[in-house]
Amino acid sequence: MNRPIKTLQDKDSYLDLQKEKRITLLEVLDRALDKGVVISGDIVISIADVDLIYLGLKVLLSSIETMERLRGAPFSGAAEEPT
Amino acid sequence: MVMERIIETDSPEAFIEEIEKVQDVLPKRIDANPKNVEKGLARLVLTLIELIRKLLEKQAMRRVAGGSLSDEEIEKVGLTLLKLENKMKELKEIFGLKDEELNLNLGPLGDLI
Amino acid sequence: MKIYAYGIIDSHHRLEEPIAGLYGKVIYNVSYRDIAVAVSELNEETKKIIDACILEHEKVVERLMIKFTVLPMRFLTVLNTREELLSMVEFYYEDFKDNLARLHNKVEFGIKVIWPADTIKKRITDAYHKTIRVSLPTEPPGKIFLEEKFKKYIIDKEFQEEADRCVIVVDDYFNKIAVEKKLKRLQTESLLLNASYLVDKDRQNEFSQAFEQLKNASSELKFLFSGPWPCYNFVTLTKGPAPVDYFNPGDILDRLLKPQEQ
Repeated sequence: MNRPIKTLQDKDSYLDLQKEKRITLLEVLDRALDKGVVISGDIVISIADVDLIYLGLKVLLSSIETMERLRGAPFSGAAEEPT
Repeated sequence: MVMERIIETDSPEAFIEEIEKVQDVLPKRIDANPKNVEKGLARLVLTLIELIRKLLEKQAMRRVAGGSLSDEEIEKVGLTLLKLENKMKELKEIFGLKDEELNLNLGPLGDLI
Repeated sequence: MKIYAYGIIDSHHRLEEPIAGLYGKVIYNVSYRDIAVAVSELNEETKKIIDACILEHEKVVERLMIKFTVLPMRFLTVLNTREELLSMVEFYYEDFKDNLARLHNKVEFGIKVIWPADTIKKRITDAYHKTIRVSLPTEPPGKIFLEEKFKKYIIDKEFQEEADRCVIVVDDYFNKIAVEKKLKRLQTESLLLNASYLVDKDRQNEFSQAFEQLKNASSELKFLFSGPWPCYNFVTLTKGPAPVDYFNPGDILDRLLKPQEQ
């Protein structure tokens, strides 16, 4: 079962890619944002309490694209290189 | 061996729409600006009143379902709830607050109302 | 120099392969007895951690998962000093050991379900209208108001019960394959279910197949399948602040009313 993110019918459609990335992000947010090992108390400082800037998904999407360009590979470990 | 992570759906737009509604990620800043302090206080007070009002409504529903109210009681309870609801609408208008704003996020417990 | 923590792992050895974390800093282990915390350093200049970093965080955890059992930290767990980090691990040591044992060789899958809420509400409303005589406008206003409220109440109640029934049917496909589960019902009217399942690595394919069966069996429902994930939803800490019950938002009103129920 070594499939990358399942693409929609129109593989080359940029819009479809956008949706998939949004879903990836939302799925990650659904987990890592407030689940896992949740330590609280004085010993944990959250830089984010003061400085977390919610950029909105549009800006986040371009952050993902920037990250991908810098790494030279699609983010999610998909086997295919973008053509 | 862990299989490679997949995210599969035939309806990405639908799920994006619903999950975005759930992910209330906007950080709520406490605004100490004096102009907004009154509105902030009104929001808190009205939220609590709204909670009580909704509790009263729920309680009334249970009694109606249980069939334990007489005709006069039905009318009395109904009128009271009607007046309460109208009063709340008035107050919301006066303070320029929307329904969605009259809520408190209790972190992991979810929203109050 | 602050410390950013990614997860607790079941090894106290040095990491062999280099993994890059936030802002390109190298991940390393801070060990305590037979476990370790995978961390990276944060400079003083790094004042802002933006949302996009959550994907980097996730990537690190998934890399670690290849070799180790990982308890993923919640995003943005930052500690001031190494000493604080060590005393934190000391405090939670038994919890971490228990979780590492329980979650060893396991992964998490997510199933989200959208159902046709409007159609179902309409069906319930139509059924209600058939059985209940609606008051004429000449009736007293209090009574009319109460009847309207009651109608909404009953329809909503039936809606919730229908949701519960539907969730049971969906869950049935995965119940026997998963070791543990966390189900969130009706986070929105349309989002019937947001489920997380803890599955043994050996049964991943079985789980995927069960999902295919579920998809084929249903025409009304929409599905989102994701995984395998690190076991975010199945880390349970007994120390620290009391664990919060897993229940639906909006249940608070019902809980407040509980003592008055007959």
